[in-house]
Amino acid sequence: MADNRDDFIIAIRYALLKKGAKQKFSLFFLILFSISIITLDKLAPPFMKSSRALLNDIVYRVAVVSSQPIVFKKYLFNKFKKHYDVVKENKFLKEEMKFLKLQKFNNAYLKTDNEVLRNALNLYNDRTMEQDFTVTAKIILDQESPFLKSFLINKGSTDKIIKGMTVFSGEYLMGTIIETNYLSSRVLLLTDLNSKIPVIIENSSINGILEGTGKKNNSYLNYIPDKYVLEKDKIIFTSGKDGFLTAGIPVAKTYLNKKNKVLIRLLADPDQVLIVHVTNGQSNK
Amino acid sequence: MYNLKKINNNFTIYLPVILLYFSSFYHVQMPEVGKINFFSFNFQMILIYFYVLKFPDELGFGNIFLAGLINDTVLGTPLGTTSLSYLMLSFFTSYIRNATLRSVMTAEWFIFIPALFFSNLIYLLIINNFSNLSFYYIELLQNSFFTFLFYPIFYYIFSYYQKLISKE
Repeated sequence: MADNRDDFIIAIRYALLKKGAKQKFSLFFLILFSISIITLDKLAPPFMKSSRALLNDIVYRVAVVSSQPIVFKKYLFNKFKKHYDVVKENKFLKEEMKFLKLQKFNNAYLKTDNEVLRNALNLYNDRTMEQDFTVTAKIILDQESPFLKSFLINKGSTDKIIKGMTVFSGEYLMGTIIETNYLSSRVLLLTDLNSKIPVIIENSSINGILEGTGKKNNSYLNYIPDKYVLEKDKIIFTSGKDGFLTAGIPVAKTYLNKKNKVLIRLLADPDQVLIVHVTNGQSNK
Repeated sequence: MYNLKKINNNFTIYLPVILLYFSSFYHVQMPEVGKINFFSFNFQMILIYFYVLKFPDELGFGNIFLAGLINDTVLGTPLGTTSLSYLMLSFFTSYIRNATLRSVMTAEWFIFIPALFFSNLIYLLIINNFSNLSFYYIELLQNSFFTFLFYPIFYYIFSYYQKLISKE
């Protein structure tokens, strides 16, 4: 029994203290050293903070360098994947193009058919969504005014722009031309207090008048039923009831503000616009 | 030419040390398969256990201590925690090496269980008592289990490698 215990103690002592041929430190010394480091780290004396910060900096830099081969491998893998995706996409696009070319003929036939049927039903009128006049203009002056929310564009009556034309930014309605000069025109923005357009709310038959309040994120919807509660994420379109704008032009969208109140935000941001399109397609001739 | 051969020889001799330091600096993130991460295992523990048990002169305790410190710095655990945990594993392994006369792979594999337990217990005790860190015990258990499970694979790889360099 005593021999067994002696063997156990000898084996432990041997494991702890024996350094071996190439070992520079004994396990016992290193374990004690580790415990002292843990204690110092916990007690956090002033020199430990700076030492740890220095050690962290060195280790992080080396860790960044050592991770480079893996990062490079990931980069190569991503490049290869991207290339494969491009090849796949190219194949898909070729097939889609072929299909669309076939569809083009079909659409031409449907268009002609539609026109014939409209004529037969006497539905054909002068008002159309197609734009037979479009001028691209650049905003030359956008002064903040407390009275009028408008801007000036670099195209005027010499470019056949007339009062009442509609101005778009991309697909969204921006405002209307209220003043034309030879080489410039003034656009009244939807944010202006004087701007009032008849609108209809998405997925409903609720009509109202969208009025500007001077703020792009808080337009006012007037003349809607008293009991109607405005929901968030609804698109507001022109209703075309004024006989001035055609129906179905997206104008604004409802959203929930930080105080959980439903407000109306215009789709076109007047502060971000540089180029606009002046059209007569939506104006009443 | 002689220098190149010397560099190559040094590289082959110090490969376990290089691997130990590299795995301390860079923790390879393995993809998860379902809810269980099968590839989550502690490579350093396998390396330390194997080399301290079979080739103690190839992997010094000083290197193990330093790799532990680096590991702590990278992971943000209290400084010295991993070092002490790895040194405890080394101590347990050294004791096994001194206590056993004949080495059998299966016996060594199963003795790896108490070695892992002992090492992780130290790790857990320090984390719980010396820091405010909290971690998932189930993940540690999972990691230990797969470390134990993958030991035979690395046992054969390291043995084969040691055979190769001893022939040179």
